[in-house]
Amino acid sequence: MNKLIGTMLVLLVLLGALAGCAAPEPTKAPPPPAATQVPATSVPAATKPPATAAPAPTTAPVASAPVKIVYWRALSGAPGDAQEEIAKRFNASQKEVQVEVQFQGTYPELQRKLQAALAARTTPDVVMFDSPQMPYFAKNGALAPLDDFAKGADSVDLKNYIPGLLADGYFDGKLYALPFARSTPILYFNRDLFKEVGLPDRAPETWDEFLEFSKKLVKKEGAETKRVGYAVQMGTTTAHWYFQELLYAYGNDVSDDKFKVLIDQPEGVAAAKFLQDMIFVHGAAIPGTGPDGAQGEFTNQRSGMHFGSTGSLVNIISTSKFQVGVGFMPAAKRRQVPIGGSVLAVLSASPKEKQAAAWKFIKYMTNTESNVYFVQKTGYMPISTSAVNSPEMKEFLAKNPAFKIAVEQLQFVRPQASIIAVPEATEIFRQLVEKLTVGKIDPATAMKEASAALTKAYNETFK
Amino acid sequence: MNASQASAAIFGFPRLTHYQRERLTFLALIAPNFILFGVFTFWPLIYNFYLSFNKWNMITPTPTWIGLDNYATMIQDPIFWKVLGNTLYLASGSIAIRLVLALALALVLNQKLAGRDVYRAIIFSPTFTTGAAVALVWTWILHKNLGLLRLPLDLLGIASPNWLTDVNWTIPALIIVTIWRGLGYDMVIFLAGLQSIPAELYEAARVDGAGRWSLFRHITLPMLSPISFFLIVTSIIGALQVFDIVAVMTGGGPMNSSKVYVYYVYENAFKFFKVGYAAALSMALFVITLGITIFQTRLSRRWVHY
Repeated sequence: MNKLIGTMLVLLVLLGALAGCAAPEPTKAPPPPAATQVPATSVPAATKPPATAAPAPTTAPVASAPVKIVYWRALSGAPGDAQEEIAKRFNASQKEVQVEVQFQGTYPELQRKLQAALAARTTPDVVMFDSPQMPYFAKNGALAPLDDFAKGADSVDLKNYIPGLLADGYFDGKLYALPFARSTPILYFNRDLFKEVGLPDRAPETWDEFLEFSKKLVKKEGAETKRVGYAVQMGTTTAHWYFQELLYAYGNDVSDDKFKVLIDQPEGVAAAKFLQDMIFVHGAAIPGTGPDGAQGEFTNQRSGMHFGSTGSLVNIISTSKFQVGVGFMPAAKRRQVPIGGSVLAVLSASPKEKQAAAWKFIKYMTNTESNVYFVQKTGYMPISTSAVNSPEMKEFLAKNPAFKIAVEQLQFVRPQASIIAVPEATEIFRQLVEKLTVGKIDPATAMKEASAALTKAYNETFK
Repeated sequence: MNASQASAAIFGFPRLTHYQRERLTFLALIAPNFILFGVFTFWPLIYNFYLSFNKWNMITPTPTWIGLDNYATMIQDPIFWKVLGNTLYLASGSIAIRLVLALALALVLNQKLAGRDVYRAIIFSPTFTTGAAVALVWTWILHKNLGLLRLPLDLLGIASPNWLTDVNWTIPALIIVTIWRGLGYDMVIFLAGLQSIPAELYEAARVDGAGRWSLFRHITLPMLSPISFFLIVTSIIGALQVFDIVAVMTGGGPMNSSKVYVYYVYENAFKFFKVGYAAALSMALFVITLGITIFQTRLSRRWVHY
């Protein structure tokens, strides 16, 4: 009986295998007729222009068929919907290129999928990058240089893009990306609390004033601190951004264009000491860990001031039960604000004609009309002079004074430091901020250690 | 016999010996699982082993062979030792407490209590809740000032530690969450074990005058030993692979105090683009896990009764 069952099973499996072998045949068989039929109808079209180097002759007449490209986008919610809408408008606006938008999650998720796609050699044609991630992919040959396209038949006036925003599309002297959803850090403050403690109804101008304001905002109940001036951003994707602004303000350039790390220079150490003293000497700040990070502390009124992305503007105003004020990031020796957000790049693995189509698409995505639409829908920054000066934008800014301040701050933006492009850099910066704000490690030592770690990481993975 | 011969004859198969037929049956039966395991487990393992001798970022087309460099780097990498220590701390800190609590709960909920199914369901519920959701809720519970956990601590007059900010408290915080999350599963397994102990054993022992403690000590515990062994092995493996709650709650911070092994592997592969190094780290974890499991199995001969 056992043997009988066994034999039957074997037979079943073998039959299955036979069926499996047989299956391809029917599918193989039909195509010939289909393949012969299709050309038969389109033979005139296909034979007349024989020289037009058709790469895929079986897929219908080439001359009129649009080039299909795939765009991988990040960002969900309003910025996601706005991208879909702009892509739809692009497809409707012309017949040569049809783009398919594919949502891939957050910036890090998209980047991981791109890594896997590159390893599997099935890449999309256009991708969105968190701007500091772009150079590493460019350096490793994954991206197509865009200079020729920018000058070619579909040329674009690069001078129209805001210089600080276009700058981080370059790597090694070549253009690899155009700015798209850009954001900058701005200072948010709790106007109600400012009034309560007798502060003026404006943001502090300098870091020193920021400290003075913070001290006034501190509230204690016994030994417990109930409120501080500022909760420091500690997140893996945010700590480095705000800390760079402090270093820039203190006159430290973080790193030069040859990736030499400069943070352990005196201005850098002074900036680090300032941040540490705010917590441990003045008790005017806390590390912003915990749920929702520093922003949670601000919206729960446990801190009176907050640095946040311009992209969070709508969110912060709507989740706060108080009047929110907005101002420039504080200055010290100078005012310089590191730009954030994303850029659009084209993959080098795509064939030339798809690259050209991809260029058309990113040109459209970043043109004045699309940008004005995107800005109005999302609160990201305008990226070109023509967008800033357009009547629609002016009207929009008049209605949104908080957003106007963010746009005015654009004159102070500069790209993030070169060293941020090294993959380990953001994690090293996060640990540096932790050492300063949690570990109470001597600023000179912490900056020196971080500098060594950044240089080592650069030599290992980027050089 | 006849039928099979007949069918073989009909389909034109050559006559197979008994041994050949058995072999074919065996192959046919294991094939579906074996292929799946092969594609999704063995091949990645082999390829991972190969990658561990390479330097690669997954962006350039091909890996570069660098021999044992990744393993040499690993031994000299202070963060490797740190995360290994963190992971073992988390594993040892959570497993014993978890199993003892789970056994106690299982014993209680094995009694005929009113509403015990409800309790069982409640205690089991963390098991089927997503790790990320659990982690997010716990970041609130553990908040120094706003957290729920502050209430009992205040009652006891203890100042709540800065669970997720203080380098000394991050692993204890993770231990609490891991225990809470794993308790229900362990309890259900223990319950199944308890219910499979034959009632005659207890009856016989009672006839011989055994008290409650003796019953537990000499019947329940030994009869549960295979289950306990299973749970110890699987929870150690699970604890060595903790990832999601760390990713959501702390991101390994502050200052690497809560960085666990698998999170470090992930960071190296997908944030630092050191795929080869991540592969080497994975191989090391594989060997460590295998070593611990073999050691456990050896040890189990002394205390597990089947």
